[in-house]
Amino acid sequence: MAAMLNNSLFARLSRIPPAYFVFVALLLVLWIARPHMLNTNIMGIFIRQVVPLGILVLGQLLVMRVNSIDLSGGSVIILVNYLISSSFFHDASLVTYFVLAVASGVGIGLINGYMVGIRRVSAVIATLAMNIIVIGAVEFLASGKPPGAVPKFLNEIYNSKLWTIPTPIVFWIVLSLMMWVLLKRFVFGRNVMSVGENPTAARFSGVPVERTVILAHALAGLMAGIAAFVQTSSLVMGSVRIGLDLPILAVAATILGGVVFGKGEGGVWGPFFGVLSFALLFVVMTTFNIDEPGKLVAQGAIILLAAIFYGLKTAGSK
Amino acid sequence: MKPAEASERLKTSFGSLLSGRNSRQGRWFLALIILFLIAGLLSVYTEQFLSTGNLLNLIAQAMPLIITAIGMMVVVLVGGLDLSVGSVISFTTAILALGAPAYISIPGVFVLAALIGLTNGLVVTRLNVHPIIATLAMQFIILGFARILRPVSGGDIPDIVIASVNGAFLGVPLPVFWGIFTFVIAWKLIHGSRFGLHLFAIGGGRASGAEDAAHNFGVADKRNVLLAYVTCSCFAALAGVFLAGRIVSGDPNVGLNFELDAITAVAIGGTQLSGGVGSLHGTIIGALVMALLANGMNLANISPFVQTAIKGGILLLVVGLQSRKKMGL
Repeated sequence: MAAMLNNSLFARLSRIPPAYFVFVALLLVLWIARPHMLNTNIMGIFIRQVVPLGILVLGQLLVMRVNSIDLSGGSVIILVNYLISSSFFHDASLVTYFVLAVASGVGIGLINGYMVGIRRVSAVIATLAMNIIVIGAVEFLASGKPPGAVPKFLNEIYNSKLWTIPTPIVFWIVLSLMMWVLLKRFVFGRNVMSVGENPTAARFSGVPVERTVILAHALAGLMAGIAAFVQTSSLVMGSVRIGLDLPILAVAATILGGVVFGKGEGGVWGPFFGVLSFALLFVVMTTFNIDEPGKLVAQGAIILLAAIFYGLKTAGSK
Repeated sequence: MKPAEASERLKTSFGSLLSGRNSRQGRWFLALIILFLIAGLLSVYTEQFLSTGNLLNLIAQAMPLIITAIGMMVVVLVGGLDLSVGSVISFTTAILALGAPAYISIPGVFVLAALIGLTNGLVVTRLNVHPIIATLAMQFIILGFARILRPVSGGDIPDIVIASVNGAFLGVPLPVFWGIFTFVIAWKLIHGSRFGLHLFAIGGGRASGAEDAAHNFGVADKRNVLLAYVTCSCFAALAGVFLAGRIVSGDPNVGLNFELDAITAVAIGGTQLSGGVGSLHGTIIGALVMALLANGMNLANISPFVQTAIKGGILLLVVGLQSRKKMGL
């Protein structure tokens, strides 16, 4: 094992996020097994399905870079879904709905940030607890039933196209570009990097560590809110069961995309391709008739393998 | 000794017992007081609470959580966390419901659980993966297998498992013996063996930021951490066997959110999640507090959705009150 790790070719290859390899491999599998699936229309539909996941990942990569994690995305999706489709805000405008989604996301994100940054609670426990609190509350309000219909105009926007590309995909790419600029060009991006690399060193260099962590969690909440908005638009009827597996998929896609806990490494585009890999994975699984339990196993295995890959890499560089 | 000095000494020793600040065993005394408070409230508000029938029923209800929480505590002592226990419980009930003879399926579930724990431990210690990520991934893999084996609840549980949970011996219901058996084994393991001592040593070093402290004093840290994960999974399988006997079927969703309940119980019992501080009696008290709360909320007719939310709130509260140096995961 050690010889393999010291090999320069392996070292060079291991610097490329596994998402790219997985993406190419799955593309090859599809190309060999089902070549007729590979056209822009079908791919557009499948990629459009993972847009909520893709937006959630934009937040997840941010918190994972500051050595934290956010598993409360599912609750934001259910909360926003409930708020939009129930009779609470009947016939409101597009802007109201969007503000509602963003506000609930940022609210939950800020609480997460406070628990992780100030109270120093383990991020997994804090966000998982937050998750079951909000889900419990929403299910109580909805008494376990689907709350109601999603406004039609949201559906129309979701199904529309901009220059032959589905609008949600364009929206996702624009958001990814914005996140990329935020991380590359802004002081906040530098802070995220230094806190992720070494919190103690960051503190002594005058980086506001707590503020960065809280802000990262608030932004992750914001992204979860936007993801929830897109997810809700894709539905005709509201549901209190949808999107519960998205946070864990987001973690998987982010790890696959080369973001490592406690390391400033990893950009926006690795996770982006991580999400695309998941889109292809769903296509492959559907065409090979693998159902839900098999998908769970595959998701877990992907997280584990990607984490092992990085574990070995960091062990080799010590 | 002057009376004033004696009372002062009594006060400080009581204070330190209450806060658990100077103890390896943590804040368990406070949990005990909370347990008695809740029990007192319940017995005032409802007449049947203190009846022998209800108390025995309560023990049977709390047993799976007690067993799981003890296993979880072993991992928490070394500063780890095992999020896969809920799935292991579901998986165990699914395997028992396959209809295989008891002399194959019962040892089988423990062998499988040990293998799951071994995988968790190996991935964490040898492959350098963060325990939360490793066990989170494992949670999904095992849940997937449980759902492949048994998509919906049903199946035949071996008669001996059902009898061992629902029967009585000399007039005493068998869950009481399950409790005694678990307690004796766990006490030996955690507070009465070299393995247990080493768990405290490893976790204590890690909690204070000295990752290799125990290793440098000659403790085989990787091997002991590995064994801690195996222990945790085996306890989860034991809880799964008990639950299978209680619900008399295999259910892929029976262990849902069990890991969070177990972590809450462990944290209520005064075990520090950063490792090195904790006690068996504290964890049992914590699990009993959880069981009493569930019992009380059921008596008060609170919706199960709200109950979940309240449990989440308690978890957030108890963990938020613990002090920790590290930030993040």
